[in-house]
Amino acid sequence: MARAQLEKGKIEKWRGEIPIKSLYTAGTAGQIFFKALKEKGEIVGTRCDPCGQVYVPARRFCERCFTELTSEVTVKLEGVVKSFSYSYVDRDGKRLKQPGVSLLVQLEGATTVMLHRLLDAKELSRVAIGSRVKAVIKAKSQRVGSILDIAGFRLLA
Amino acid sequence: MKSMPDSVRGTPVDTKGLARGKIFLTSYAPKLRYAWDTGEAIGRYLAELKEGRLIARSCRKCERVMIPPRMYCERCFRPTDDWVYVKDSGTVNTFSLCYVSWDVRRLKQPEIPAVIEIDGASPGMGILHLLRKVNPKSVHIGMRVAAVWKPPSQRTGSITDIAYWSSMERRLRRKSD
Repeated sequence: MARAQLEKGKIEKWRGEIPIKSLYTAGTAGQIFFKALKEKGEIVGTRCDPCGQVYVPARRFCERCFTELTSEVTVKLEGVVKSFSYSYVDRDGKRLKQPGVSLLVQLEGATTVMLHRLLDAKELSRVAIGSRVKAVIKAKSQRVGSILDIAGFRLLA
Repeated sequence: MKSMPDSVRGTPVDTKGLARGKIFLTSYAPKLRYAWDTGEAIGRYLAELKEGRLIARSCRKCERVMIPPRMYCERCFRPTDDWVYVKDSGTVNTFSLCYVSWDVRRLKQPEIPAVIEIDGASPGMGILHLLRKVNPKSVHIGMRVAAVWKPPSQRTGSITDIAYWSSMERRLRRKSD
């Protein structure tokens, strides 16, 4: 009797969990970028005065000449697609009903590209290198200081 | 050496700024869940605990009765042979009075971890557990103790299915009530 009961309540595993929670700050340059995005709905970068690079999003140091970047620049919400990619699977590898489009966009006034997404997947087939796009900024009440305060980019005709 | 300019030193983050949402950040909590195979011996041991019993394993060669049970005799280098039920009472082999908790808070009443040699197992065969509802001053090596089990509905197949151990007198007193 005891044996059968034990088979039913068989114990094969110890279970455990390691709780690890972490917070990553955006850093001092990220702070400038996200503050402007959240509070003003603007996209801000930093300019390297010696070499003329304008980094968007804002960065603290110039990658080319290692100069500290102190000049903030507000760039336009419009720009050009420099590269793009279709995604047919999500990050778990599941097939997407509607493929997504990742864009590398160079905004007007910037010399670097930033990664974001195409907002309307129906525009997918019309995206090309050189396409003009515009950032769609969420309403102020919905902005939290995240890169998704930019809802995405839409194609300009 | 030339000292570093201030601008490349770290920027302190104050907790008030964090709390008020003044500092932009992202959070991440990986789900680190695991399951270890208990193995045959400990699996049975835990299943028996759930039923309110202690089980050991014996070796016919050296005639030891081992608890917690193991499938292999580390003295004879051969597999152990039989399952043996042992009693849920024993003798304090060693103990400690802990006046700080695991997270280093001071305790007024000490926690008393003890190694308990189990009745029916070989001498020196014991398990680490906790003594409670005993006068800390009366605890001594050789003290007779008995398991106090959780009610069956609360048992999960864990060593904590024994809530704690207390003095044998206490068990006898309870029985005679």
